Amino acid sequence: MAEPVTDGHRRPVEDLLRELAPQVLGTLTSRYGHFDACEDATQEALLKAARHWPEDGIPQSPRGWLLTVASRVLIDEFRSDSSRRRREDVVFAATPQSELVGRPADSIADPDGVAADRDDSLKLLFLCCHPSLSVPSQIALTLRAVGGLTTAQIAAAFLVPEATMAQRISRAKATIGSGAIRFEMPAGEADERVRAVQHVLYLIFNEGYTASSGEDLTAPSLSDEAIRLTRLLLRLLPEDSETAGLLALMLLTDARRPARTLPDGMLVPLAEQDRTRWTSASIAEGVALISQTLPRGAVGPYQLQAAIAAVHDEAPTMDDTDWPQILGLYDLLEKAAPNPMTTLNRAVAVAMVHGPQAGLELIAALESDGRMARSHRLLATRAHLRELAGDGNGAASDYRQAARRTASVPERRYLTGRAAALDRRNRGPAGDGSAPV
Amino acid sequence: MKYLLMIYGNQEKWSTFAAEDWPREIAKQDAYNKKYAATGELLGAYGLADAAAAKLVTRKDGVPVLSDGPYLETKEYMASFYLVDVESEERAYELAAEMPWADQNPTEVWPILHESATDA
Repeated sequence: MAEPVTDGHRRPVEDLLRELAPQVLGTLTSRYGHFDACEDATQEALLKAARHWPEDGIPQSPRGWLLTVASRVLIDEFRSDSSRRRREDVVFAATPQSELVGRPADSIADPDGVAADRDDSLKLLFLCCHPSLSVPSQIALTLRAVGGLTTAQIAAAFLVPEATMAQRISRAKATIGSGAIRFEMPAGEADERVRAVQHVLYLIFNEGYTASSGEDLTAPSLSDEAIRLTRLLLRLLPEDSETAGLLALMLLTDARRPARTLPDGMLVPLAEQDRTRWTSASIAEGVALISQTLPRGAVGPYQLQAAIAAVHDEAPTMDDTDWPQILGLYDLLEKAAPNPMTTLNRAVAVAMVHGPQAGLELIAALESDGRMARSHRLLATRAHLRELAGDGNGAASDYRQAARRTASVPERRYLTGRAAALDRRNRGPAGDGSAPV
Repeated sequence: MKYLLMIYGNQEKWSTFAAEDWPREIAKQDAYNKKYAATGELLGAYGLADAAAAKLVTRKDGVPVLSDGPYLETKEYMASFYLVDVESEERAYELAAEMPWADQNPTEVWPILHESATDA
């Protein structure tokens, strides 16, 4: 019956479990309500499977196995709660076991089951990214309930104690359980809710992309997880072009990860990255995806950012970059989603097309924006453009100010290094024969 | 984003509180700590012992050397610190402003450097 699984297959078991987690939880919640209890039961079933499957083999219907085990946990839970006993037993008694386990998600013969799973997974994503939860709670709950990660794994990824993360998750579940939030398709505000899900996935990706903590073999990387969940969202909403844009943006950005930091954690800016180390398969997939999506219309900020990333990724060297095209895309992005960070990035494109002085003028206008006045990004960008304009002293001073204002260790190291290099250059060429002091 | 919230003071300052007020003041702080531990934002709250119990540690020729101090007679020293993990800078300021003694004693809010870059 069951296929034996060797130790090398532990990873596939884990991947399969995480794939099935939202389906199992979605099905349970849609049938019985009580998201909180269903979530606990699903986690317990996943843990049991993770313990047994690598040794006993993967059952023929993995999803059915998980549903059965999770349902049993749920029934035990309800039975032990005497105040709810009668009501819940009636619900369970009314559900034939065959229906509970006999509808594998991968069964092509049962398209209705697939559609129900699709809806349940979507409802689950909407639930986890509900606007009444704080953003950190949305992120944590999405990773656990949809991503199938354990609380320990999520805590490790965000460098907080496990108890803190457990508290955050249980509070989020309590907010949902309080009854104000329903497990259903949002009527009327579906677009807005999809944007909220995209935003959470985007934040998870960024958290993973920017973390410099190297290859951690015990916890799945957050950017891989964000890409996996965005693929899921795109499967659920194949017509949503911004979801396609978001996935393309993630792939095109993630492709640069191998070249983005040195082994010691030092940041390498785009201009200095060894482009041969970029992941060409991710670039190919991202470019294909954004090329298919853009002509469909309804162009939004994720698609535009993906298009900009694609132009960068397709240039074999920094000098080959098609800056006029990038500037055109930034013009569109600024119209679609005006925001000071976009203006700042656009200033770089303006500088590359029309010269550093034109870029610096844009930045001068931004300096009056209260949101940006103290930003290390503005200072770092101004430093870069001043350097291009030949103002070595101004650039060094800006780099140093930017370094003081960033909270990121690798960024601070990078910016301080730039300032020091400019200082050396500003003092004149070294090695002129005089003895070192 | 993680922030360190620091409260400074000295013995003279603490002595201005009447002894019978202490249990109530401590209860307020406990309530605050419980509230934000429950939201998952407070990672830890720690009160420091008196400055008299502090030691200075250096190393001389590879051997640890312990001495009394630092001697902070008049200057305020750190009395307690709180490690929080919050959504935004504004939220860290909110938590600091809600400290039970915020109307008498300022809280210093320091962003903590993190091991990741902020730009994508």
